[in-house]
Amino acid sequence: MLSTRLLTKRYGSLIAVEDLDLEVGAGELFGFLGPNGAGKTTTIKMLVGLLRPTSGTARVAGIDIMAEPERAKARIGYVPDAATLYEKLSAREFLEFSGDLYHVEQRLRDRRIEALLKLFDLHDRGNDFLAGYSRGMRQKVSLAAALLHDPQVLFLDEPTVGLDPQSARQMKDILQDFCKEGKTVFFSTHILEIAERMCTRLAIINHGRLVAMGSLQELRHMVGQDGQSLEQIFLELTGSREEDVSAVLRGLEE
Amino acid sequence: MFLNQTLRSHKPGRIVGTIVSAAIIVIAWSWEAIITWVGVQASQRAPIQLDTVHLLSLAFLAYTGVLVFSSLVFSLNALLLNPDLDLLLAAPLPVESVLAGRMVVQVLRLLLLSLVFTLPALLVLAFANHNLLIPLLFATLYLLYPVSVVVIISLLSLLLVRFIPVGRGREVVTLFGVILALGINLLNFLFNPALRDSGFARRPGVPASLPDVPVASATWLPSGWAGRSAAAILRGDIAVAVEWALLLLAVSAAIFAAGTILSGRLYLAGWIQAVPPRRRRLPGLRAPRLTGALPLLSPLLASIVIKDWRMRTRDLAQLIRFVMPVIFIFIIFGLRFAGLRSAVQSLGEGPAPAMVGLVPAWILLFSLSISLGLTAVSLEGKSIWVYAVSPNTTLRFLQGKCWSAALPTALLVALVAIAAEILIRPGWLWAATAVLLAVAQAVAVTTLMVGIGAVFARFDWTDARRMLNPIGAFIGMGLFAMITGGSALLLAISLALASETRFPVFSTWLAAMTVSIGGAVVVAVLAVLIGNERLRGLELG
Repeated sequence: MLSTRLLTKRYGSLIAVEDLDLEVGAGELFGFLGPNGAGKTTTIKMLVGLLRPTSGTARVAGIDIMAEPERAKARIGYVPDAATLYEKLSAREFLEFSGDLYHVEQRLRDRRIEALLKLFDLHDRGNDFLAGYSRGMRQKVSLAAALLHDPQVLFLDEPTVGLDPQSARQMKDILQDFCKEGKTVFFSTHILEIAERMCTRLAIINHGRLVAMGSLQELRHMVGQDGQSLEQIFLELTGSREEDVSAVLRGLEE
Repeated sequence: MFLNQTLRSHKPGRIVGTIVSAAIIVIAWSWEAIITWVGVQASQRAPIQLDTVHLLSLAFLAYTGVLVFSSLVFSLNALLLNPDLDLLLAAPLPVESVLAGRMVVQVLRLLLLSLVFTLPALLVLAFANHNLLIPLLFATLYLLYPVSVVVIISLLSLLLVRFIPVGRGREVVTLFGVILALGINLLNFLFNPALRDSGFARRPGVPASLPDVPVASATWLPSGWAGRSAAAILRGDIAVAVEWALLLLAVSAAIFAAGTILSGRLYLAGWIQAVPPRRRRLPGLRAPRLTGALPLLSPLLASIVIKDWRMRTRDLAQLIRFVMPVIFIFIIFGLRFAGLRSAVQSLGEGPAPAMVGLVPAWILLFSLSISLGLTAVSLEGKSIWVYAVSPNTTLRFLQGKCWSAALPTALLVALVAIAAEILIRPGWLWAATAVLLAVAQAVAVTTLMVGIGAVFARFDWTDARRMLNPIGAFIGMGLFAMITGGSALLLAISLALASETRFPVFSTWLAAMTVSIGGAVVVAVLAVLIGNERLRGLELG
């Protein structure tokens, strides 16, 4: 459903993503992990066609995103990190606009909008301007817009940031149901607990390079210690800085 | 710092822009110095009796208007829009010192601005009068005079923000901009001698071309003190100058001290942003709702048009961009209606009067095509990703933007052109073709501006005023002048050609119109194609 081959993005001398090879199958809930600045967002933006790779290829639903962007994008849903939405539109109007961008027939669009607003508990606030929405509510509207055209692959960049525990749980359920229909979810997160519980497979990226990919069990084998939590595996693979932090804090106290 | 950033950016456009701006400033300064020098020489050769005290008091009174507006915008910006004030107030410093610091910064900014505008003239005056103290003493006046205004306006702003809901600051600041623009026009009507009859009472010693406000030099007004001090500086009477300046200093210091204490108390009393944000929602069934369908347009294009319409009409800052040109057309033409009517009705029938009727339509087109066309693409702002991830080409996006800008522009231009032609009555055939020309030009010019706006698109703005790229605006204005000027020339040639060759006027007129519209359309299509290439080259993530 999703594959990249030697995907690379450079900004001058800075290498944001380097030679990334990924394979994600249909029905997978794939977690993409990495420290700040590792290249997660850049990778996702290349996969949804917002950034052009410096080299390498990316295929979504079997379509090369660079060669046939419009065909590939029709199969993609995308929820960015801290989405900027049109503040002077209501949630309902924003969803109508999104539906039209993806050429969803008007009656089907309106039916889906009502269903999604209900699903995300936004039905009562559907006519409020987005300017008055909290970050979590905007995140829900973004997810509703991404689901509106029934995509085959859903890309989410830090989807749980700003969500309260109930909403985070609700989002988790929605994503799992989405995957049960044979569709794919590719999401980045910092919250390892969520990734550990939700994901069928994981990839860890550091300094733009893929350092590990596989199921949680496979990652445990990779670091050679069964029973380790994802947090311990993550810290081991990306390099723990606990000692540095303690030293700095001690320095501040002095 | 600015120069360092410009050089380090390695962007040729930015560096050239900075050099050109610097050259314009140097030319303006040189021009000001030359004009002052010529004025000084002329006054020495042919002395005229002028009431210098009153004239300088008038200048300071006019400057008070600038001070009120700039202080209001500065204070509201600081209180409502800049998060750095919150950071300062959260720091372990007395609130009074933070607010006083803000007022001092504003006074210093105004001092620098005054010097930027007047220093060349002051240096010439110092040289001509052999008195090197002139720039220094004027700078002292520039420093003292704004203090009381800045303090009073800052205090009023602290009271005012109590009534502004959170999140509406930008709109309120924009509204003040509109009030200022309308206020200037109203004052122009009230005080401009060119608009007054000859019986208007004037003080002796005030040139007839200058507006007069007799109270400006009153001894109880700061403008009178500053005017007397400034006049004494120019006379070389330093003792009198210092006397009036000391009075200004004493009053300014007292107001600053009292204002600082009061401002801290006002802030701490919880005045700041006391109004909770109002939940803004769409009206229910009272207003008809656009459903996402427009005749002749695909659902995608209709959706872009409707979305843009909503964004333009619901945001006060955007709405003003749209409505202001219409208001100014009314001010320019509507308030002088009686005089204009008798003038245009004497023109008679024919193509030339029909062309005259297009003047207000062209003025409106100039404003609307810039405010709507040039900003159409940038209107997306940081939400551009919504479109960029969708399965549509950038050319389709630009088509939508052309429709969204051209539809309201063409409609309003048509209305103004029809109204003007009804008033002039050049004959129905000439009037109809002139209106047709106006509408076709409105569509072509707005499309052209959309293309230019795409080339100079800005998606990182947070303030609607920054949506417009100055270079794009400059190029757009130039092309507009070429297109409308070219059209007027072509139509004039068609009339001359008809009289020379004895062809029917209507046929040469139609030929000129076809060439004029065709040329504008070609330029517009080219601009859209170039804009499309530019957008395709951007990474909109």
